[in-house]
Amino acid sequence: MLPEPLIQVLQVLTVAGAAPGISGVIARVEATLQGRHGPRILQPYYDLAKLFRKEALAPEGASWVFLAAPVAAFACYLTVPLLIPVLTTFPLPLGYMGDILGGGFILSLASFLVAVAALETGSPYAQLGASRAKTFAAITEPVVLFVVFTVAMLTATDLPYALAATVRASAGQIVRPAHVLAAAALFMVILYETGRIPVETHSGTNEFGMIEEARSFEHSGPYLALLRWGSAAKQMILYTILLNVFTAPWGLAATRGAGPVLLAMVALPAKACVLGAVVAVIDDSFAKLRLFKITEFAAAAFLLAVLGVFTLYLGGG
Amino acid sequence: MPPAPAPSVFAGTANVIAVLILLAEFGMFRQALLRDQVRLYAGQSVLIAALAVLVGAVQQLPELYVLAAVTIALKAVAIPLVFRRLLRETEPEHAEQTGHDIAGTGGLGLASTVLIGLAVAAFGFFTATALPVSSGGAPVTALSVSVSVILVAFVVMIHRRDVASQAIGLFSLENGISLASLVVAPALPLLVEVVLAVDLLLAVVVLGLLIRLHHGRAETLSTADLTELRG
Repeated sequence: MLPEPLIQVLQVLTVAGAAPGISGVIARVEATLQGRHGPRILQPYYDLAKLFRKEALAPEGASWVFLAAPVAAFACYLTVPLLIPVLTTFPLPLGYMGDILGGGFILSLASFLVAVAALETGSPYAQLGASRAKTFAAITEPVVLFVVFTVAMLTATDLPYALAATVRASAGQIVRPAHVLAAAALFMVILYETGRIPVETHSGTNEFGMIEEARSFEHSGPYLALLRWGSAAKQMILYTILLNVFTAPWGLAATRGAGPVLLAMVALPAKACVLGAVVAVIDDSFAKLRLFKITEFAAAAFLLAVLGVFTLYLGGG
Repeated sequence: MPPAPAPSVFAGTANVIAVLILLAEFGMFRQALLRDQVRLYAGQSVLIAALAVLVGAVQQLPELYVLAAVTIALKAVAIPLVFRRLLRETEPEHAEQTGHDIAGTGGLGLASTVLIGLAVAAFGFFTATALPVSSGGAPVTALSVSVSVILVAFVVMIHRRDVASQAIGLFSLENGISLASLVVAPALPLLVEVVLAVDLLLAVVVLGLLIRLHHGRAETLSTADLTELRG
């Protein structure tokens, strides 16, 4: 039997440790689908190690906010895994510290801090990226709200643990339209939030269509490493929410035994790899949307989420 | 508020298919190529057939299998073929590369249209819930969805200013009615269903010829010019 605080720490370590690997798997699958050999799966870890050894530079005139933001944002990303079911089906001591909205707030805080740091730089690219990221975040926000409404109506709470338990309860819970629609809408939001096609190219260099990726242009050395690691961790957190709360809450430890917890620590990255492969297929089969067409993408996600709430009101959802 | 009870697996699956039919209707707002628009309609018809098979299997109504077969044969194969053949010469030669065909014929931006569609769909949802219908076929929620499909099909016809999309909107409206009939009268005599479907085929031929006539005169599928014909 492992003590609960240890499991809680393991949740954070699993997310932080597996996150760069998932990005590596996605890059590899994408390359394979394009007929390239691609970078090795561990490449993101090597990149991080390299960046941590490099010197850090700050643009002239940038204040302490510029250097503090990556650290604070990374701390935010490490806080969210405490709130969501990463390894266990039962809530851990800090698990009810915040609900889905609480986790969302912490993620938004991190994104806000990165945007402020980007504004500090005075570089037009970074500022443009930050401004765009905030603008489009405002458009996807209603989608997230309606997904939360759906969760609230399905479980009478807005705790991620409760929804995962509801989904596990019966097959009827999985095929009900409200659940399917909410999960699909959340998946589209995740595609936006993690900067994937059709919203943004992930591996691009300088270009005008950049959103999230442009924000870290002026950072270097360990700070850039923290930002990179942070965005990988954010992707892993969002994948964990989609997998362990919405679509596949299986493979989690039901007891505090060392075996089930270890199994869960392997199962989550495995599930995330499968989801990452799906994302890679989408990356390779669609074109990037023009910037002003992103509202259409958000409108489609909004449509799914709202229809989910409608079907619930009808009693048949 | 207590948690919403889960529907049975059958009701859940049937409702998901019904909602997918509605989503296909929303998809008609943005298709840029006539070919894709027709494909979307064929896909929607296949979903109707799938729902018919599901209801037939669960509610022990074997005649629904025949209905599904007729639906696929007519709406997913025959109608798209006839329609595309009738409109072959109206399609621009390089539509595939340029993406210009019936693109951008919407009267409003896509996001605004989706919001209007949602409002209309909500109206359909909640009015149909008020009807005292008990079903021996598909679950009653599907009836609400079918009313929404019909109303959104109207929005498609109003929103898209090209004759082809308007015709497809009309055909898909009939899909909404088929969906409703699966709820209200799943055991409707097969003959009536087949007559309805053949009737639709007739409508396709008539509309196809009308579209050709329009294209022959105006050299375009757009109806924008027709406003100048006021007397």
